[in-house]
Amino acid sequence: MATLRLDGIRKRYPNGMTALHGIDLSVADGELIVVVGPSGCGKSTLLRILAGLEPITAGELAINGRRVNELEPAARDIAMVFQNYALYPHMSVAGNMAYALKNRGTPKDEIRRRVANTAALLGLDDLLERRPRQLSGGQRQRVAMGRAIIREPQVFLFDEPLSNLDAKLRVQMRLEIRRLQKRLGITSVYVTHDQVEAMTLADRLVVMNGGHVEQCGTPMALYARPATRFVASFLGSPAMNFLPVTAHAGGVVLPNGAQVALPAILPEGDAATLGIRPEHLVEATASEEAAATLDVTVEMLEPLGADTLAYTRLPGVETWLVVRLDGAHAAREGQRLSLALPVAHCHVFDARGARVPMTGREDAEALAAQ
Amino acid sequence: MRYRRPGLDWLSHGLLGLCCLLFGLPVWLAVTASTHTLGDLYSQTAPLGFGDAGLDNYRELLGGAVGGLGTDVTTLLVNSTLMALGIAVGKIAISVLAAYAIVFFAFPLRRLCFWLIFITLMLPVEVRILPTFEVVADLGLLDSYAGLILPLIASATATFLMRQFYLTVPPELVEAARIDGAGPWRFLRDILLPLSKTNFAALFVIMFLYGWNQYLWPLLITNDADYLTIVVSLKRLLTSADGLVPWHYVTATAVLAMLPPIGVILLMQRYFVKGLVDSEK
Repeated sequence: MATLRLDGIRKRYPNGMTALHGIDLSVADGELIVVVGPSGCGKSTLLRILAGLEPITAGELAINGRRVNELEPAARDIAMVFQNYALYPHMSVAGNMAYALKNRGTPKDEIRRRVANTAALLGLDDLLERRPRQLSGGQRQRVAMGRAIIREPQVFLFDEPLSNLDAKLRVQMRLEIRRLQKRLGITSVYVTHDQVEAMTLADRLVVMNGGHVEQCGTPMALYARPATRFVASFLGSPAMNFLPVTAHAGGVVLPNGAQVALPAILPEGDAATLGIRPEHLVEATASEEAAATLDVTVEMLEPLGADTLAYTRLPGVETWLVVRLDGAHAAREGQRLSLALPVAHCHVFDARGARVPMTGREDAEALAAQ
Repeated sequence: MRYRRPGLDWLSHGLLGLCCLLFGLPVWLAVTASTHTLGDLYSQTAPLGFGDAGLDNYRELLGGAVGGLGTDVTTLLVNSTLMALGIAVGKIAISVLAAYAIVFFAFPLRRLCFWLIFITLMLPVEVRILPTFEVVADLGLLDSYAGLILPLIASATATFLMRQFYLTVPPELVEAARIDGAGPWRFLRDILLPLSKTNFAALFVIMFLYGWNQYLWPLLITNDADYLTIVVSLKRLLTSADGLVPWHYVTATAVLAMLPPIGVILLMQRYFVKGLVDSEK
């Protein structure tokens, strides 16, 4: 059982490239933190630093309050699951799982008992004598998990463990990881570039970009109140719609002159971005209070079954406006729709991409509190 | 076969058969000639069939000192085997360690070290034979197994091959081992060496043959018949003192000299081919 504390962690490679610009993060005991971001954002570097595979340039890393900056990976009492599993090809499943214990000098009976327990936990009982190359992708993944679990480490580190699996297996293993992590209650850091994995697994989500933490919080908080345009664009599928707007007294103005009434606090005339998620664009009805009503033309439809995605265009605006319609909706291509922008779901970002607080809305206080 | 034409099939098989004959004939002649008496060999043209003196020839060779050799062929075989084994095992051991250091450890001038090893490929034994002889003589290693083996024991080729293999080992494997608490020696022993088994087989065959076929170096540093190798002694048998070349002994010794390499190849060929072809682990 462990807590993890990162204090101004910086990483600068010898070639002068800075991968991490001061990361601060506290992980509570038993928490599952998902670090998400596009490739090259520093998330893998962060994980490797936690593991001790990369030296830290500046800052402090503590496990259970004890500084571990200088400790070798094996001495940190962490376990890591690699993207390509990194199983030892010449060892059996049992051998792979037992290797770390053997190196620690654990007694043979103890090793045998723990291998049996872990195998039972993961459903690997019948595969213990197999070699990794005789296993399917999902089984290998399980062995890699087993190799981590068997050591009963302080911290689990996952480096995109599901990205080599096919879509169906990925969903299944995702649930299994979640179940195991909760059951064992081991503090975990999970790195992925898949926002669905991130949303579904995380107790708390850390969105990284360019070596910085963009935002950190529960998945739903980040989804509902993204602190930056980057976070807004990264979470949610299909991605949030962004419309270029100009600040105006009492709201913002779309390029085609349409006014959107929002309590956003922005100097008049500033360029900004209005964000709205596809699922929050609704067909205008007379009763609803809307910031604006947009008349759009449906250009393309993508039926997904439960929902239908409509790619629509607003006259005078270049970008698509994606709308999530009910699957039963009778929209046709070329049809005109009247969409309402609900005030509560509109996000405004300033020219630098930071969220603009709105008066009279809970996110103003939330943002101030951060 | 890319083209399915019967005529071409016959032609290629014919050529193949012809080549087999061409390569096989001298070996066959050596085998048959070694079963005749010296008198037979001098009184007729090269016999294609077996004679009846085979057992006697081989028994004399293996049992006692023959002709101008001053030793029996058993000693020669033992010497050659020891030398070839020493060279093969030593080359593998040294190249494994050298390649391990070059690939997995970051130290100053690492690249320079690699290139220094690599360019020694361009310096075969023959080029550096005089200075090497001088060193070995000064060390008092003439007429000894150490003198036969040590100067030939470092191998740039083997180091290079091992390095190429190590470079294909995924870095995650190294990291997983580090997290699992395996230090450098443990990683080498538990992970790297077991993974290199097929490479060892391939290297062993190549290096054993290399050691077995050494001629110039053993010729230079051995005077004592107790340290003669079989390849050198073949030449010595040809320049026999009493005028008549003992062809029955020469061919029998040649046949005996072929056997250990053939044995090694047969034993290792399964792994050997795998090690050269199968880089995917």
